[in-house]
Amino acid sequence: MENLVIQTEKLSEWVNEIIKKNKVFAPVKETDFSNFKIVNDYSEIDLSFLLPMVPAKKILFKQTETLFLFTPGSKGEVKSKEISDEKLVIFSIRSCDAKTFSILDPVFLGDYVDPFYKKRRENSILIGLSCNKPNVNCFCTSFGDSPASRDYVDILLTDLDGKYLVEIVTERGKKFIDDYKKFFASASKEDLESKEKVEKLAIEGITRKMKLEGVSEKLGKMFEHPIWYENAMKCIGCGTCTFVCPTCHCFDMQDESTLREGARIRVWDSCMYPEYTHHASGHNPRPARMNRVRNRIYHKFSYYPTNENIVGCTGCGRCIDYCSVNIDIIDIINEVGEAKL
Amino acid sequence: MVDQKQLIKTAKEIVSREDVKYIVGYKQGTYGFVTSPAFAYTPEDVESFIYNPLCKKNLAVYPILEEKLPLKRGEEEDKRKIGLVVKGCDSRALVQIIQEKGLVREDLVIIGIPCKGVIDLKKIEKRFPNQTEVVDVEENDNSEYIIKIGDTVHTIPKEELLSEVCKSCEFPNPPLYDFLMGEEVEVREKEVYSGLRGLDETPIEERWAYWEKHFQNCIRCYACREACPLCYCKTCMADMLDPQWIRRSVNLSENTAWNIMRAFHLAGRCISCGECESVCPANIPLMELNKKLEKDVKEMFKYTAGLDTEEKTLFGTFNPDDPNEFIM
Amino acid sequence: MMIQEQKGEFEPNIIGFLCNWCSYAGADLAGTSRIQYPPNIRIIKVMCSGRVNPMFVVNALQQGADGVLIGGCHPGDCHYQSGNYLARRRMAVLKVLLEQLGIEPDRVKMTWVSAAEGKKFAQVIEEVTRDIKKLGPMKKIRRDNEW
Repeated sequence: MENLVIQTEKLSEWVNEIIKKNKVFAPVKETDFSNFKIVNDYSEIDLSFLLPMVPAKKILFKQTETLFLFTPGSKGEVKSKEISDEKLVIFSIRSCDAKTFSILDPVFLGDYVDPFYKKRRENSILIGLSCNKPNVNCFCTSFGDSPASRDYVDILLTDLDGKYLVEIVTERGKKFIDDYKKFFASASKEDLESKEKVEKLAIEGITRKMKLEGVSEKLGKMFEHPIWYENAMKCIGCGTCTFVCPTCHCFDMQDESTLREGARIRVWDSCMYPEYTHHASGHNPRPARMNRVRNRIYHKFSYYPTNENIVGCTGCGRCIDYCSVNIDIIDIINEVGEAKL
Repeated sequence: MVDQKQLIKTAKEIVSREDVKYIVGYKQGTYGFVTSPAFAYTPEDVESFIYNPLCKKNLAVYPILEEKLPLKRGEEEDKRKIGLVVKGCDSRALVQIIQEKGLVREDLVIIGIPCKGVIDLKKIEKRFPNQTEVVDVEENDNSEYIIKIGDTVHTIPKEELLSEVCKSCEFPNPPLYDFLMGEEVEVREKEVYSGLRGLDETPIEERWAYWEKHFQNCIRCYACREACPLCYCKTCMADMLDPQWIRRSVNLSENTAWNIMRAFHLAGRCISCGECESVCPANIPLMELNKKLEKDVKEMFKYTAGLDTEEKTLFGTFNPDDPNEFIM
Repeated sequence: MMIQEQKGEFEPNIIGFLCNWCSYAGADLAGTSRIQYPPNIRIIKVMCSGRVNPMFVVNALQQGADGVLIGGCHPGDCHYQSGNYLARRRMAVLKVLLEQLGIEPDRVKMTWVSAAEGKKFAQVIEEVTRDIKKLGPMKKIRRDNEW
């Protein structure tokens, strides 16, 4: 589709214009990391961090979601929760975070359609930002993606030093950008070439590689392999890997109420906790850390590819960055590839 | 500097013993500056053990993570000992757990390391960003770290990379051990923990603004709890549903309640290893709470955690002359 | 439900955890002796001040209390020998923690009232109410209950 450019100094004007009509989520600097937050002015945005701590999944699949409201007691009533129809814009989403949604779609829009996710998904425009300088643990290239991938966003920005290349990827993106035509100029051939250069440099910057060939099938045969014991021994079961993972989507449902009103809420949960699979009977089908670590890997690299035909990992590397005991998903998968059956 | 050969030799001897199940030490991580806990079941496994100032992880968490799974018929419980490599604070954690009867001394074989302080991973990663290759770090006698990256050698003053908790460490030598690696080290000149400096002058509203900002970032992953060697309750109050002490929804009120609960339950127990803070993905300065409680508990009740396995716990005992001024 | 702000003046909600043997009996005595004291306190009877988990206090503050009072027997008089001493330690530490977090530690009050001290009980309640009134409503960690 169309390629445009915007001068860096015009970017703030454009974003502020978007903010007028939409709810804009963008990375905001917290103490020494960034997080997606609703911004009211471009000045709040900080693009210097590569990845926000909590991935963009939290915008469509909130950590705490109210499912419905009720009044407790014998004359209790159930009221449905209204789903806001506001237009969302996720600004400066990286390609790995944007890929999240194509992985989560089968879960939330599959057999059962989650109305909250669906509404937000339909209402959101993803404005991507290419990574010029990937992190140590980035490995999106292992999945055939690129740090400047156009595949999962509506509009892709690429920082070309002084100006941004604006690639319009989808129809929705085109429609969206039509309102803001005045900020852009057409992209020249040089601009596209310099993007290619930037992209190539970024790809070269990604040094870690996960070898995925045949892993999914191989995992099917090594459920009881000793590598799970070896890797799980050091796991402390903190669950951080699942909270910062862009594709982990397990949740728990709870009732919260006062004497007069209450709500059923949905909160993120983690398969790394023993409580997650704890039955009311007292039995726990995943009693040991080994079972849980194995399940995390299997879910992403075996069950998900089998059921949905897509690997449940985007290669953002957050789980490696935040793991305090150096459980390294790249290493584990490479070990699986090399393991003797 | 701890002699790595001596460490490996001792560890090998321990792991060859029949009454030892495995020994936990450190090994090189998979990228950059990270180190990884290593489990050795045989003397060959011990070969990968290392010890350098990057070995920050508190390994005292592992004996309490041992799962006691239901046994199959005819199976017998493996009652062999666990070996551990511990620094001063880690050893104090063990003392504290033994004091609370969470572990039995006889179940542990402890290799103590007189610790000169460890590097804060966040600081060194900020200094040398995007370090993929595994890096070797050593400490010389002039309080400097020698960091070899590729062919370049960086010499950096220790103070710049040292963990904040280590700067105010009072007990670098393990109080409890079976084997001590090298000579005991001198206790550093006493320094007030950086997070507590100037605190008394901070007005109360400013303090709340500070914590409000931090607690809003809490994602309630409970990594602080799991990484803490002293958080070993079978069922945490935060996980209970009836009564539900804190709600699961993630908002400022519940996040604060959780953090009050965590900090309170560590009062008089925290041994200042700084593990909670370093695992926190939201960088909440949890040690500022722990350190403050440690300091005030010491002042009010003359109590220091993790020094004597026979001592009574802070809240399990009392003194009729405890502070009384706040009673109306 | 709650005493709301009446005619511009703030009326605090105060939760009192009173021990069964002394403070609660003291409150009883204040009542039967017809001593007047502010109606701001909501009493929850516990068997001993040592029963009061610090999370009770935090939870009360979360659920709309502006202050919490813990009442026990005088030192040495505890029905269970040492419950009040243990409670005193805990509350001392909790107050330190609250202060560190920027939550006014004065919202947590503790008192020793014996079964014979109806008058003292009324005085304590007056004092507590006055103090909490000065501090104003507790909003920092209150649940908003908006879903």
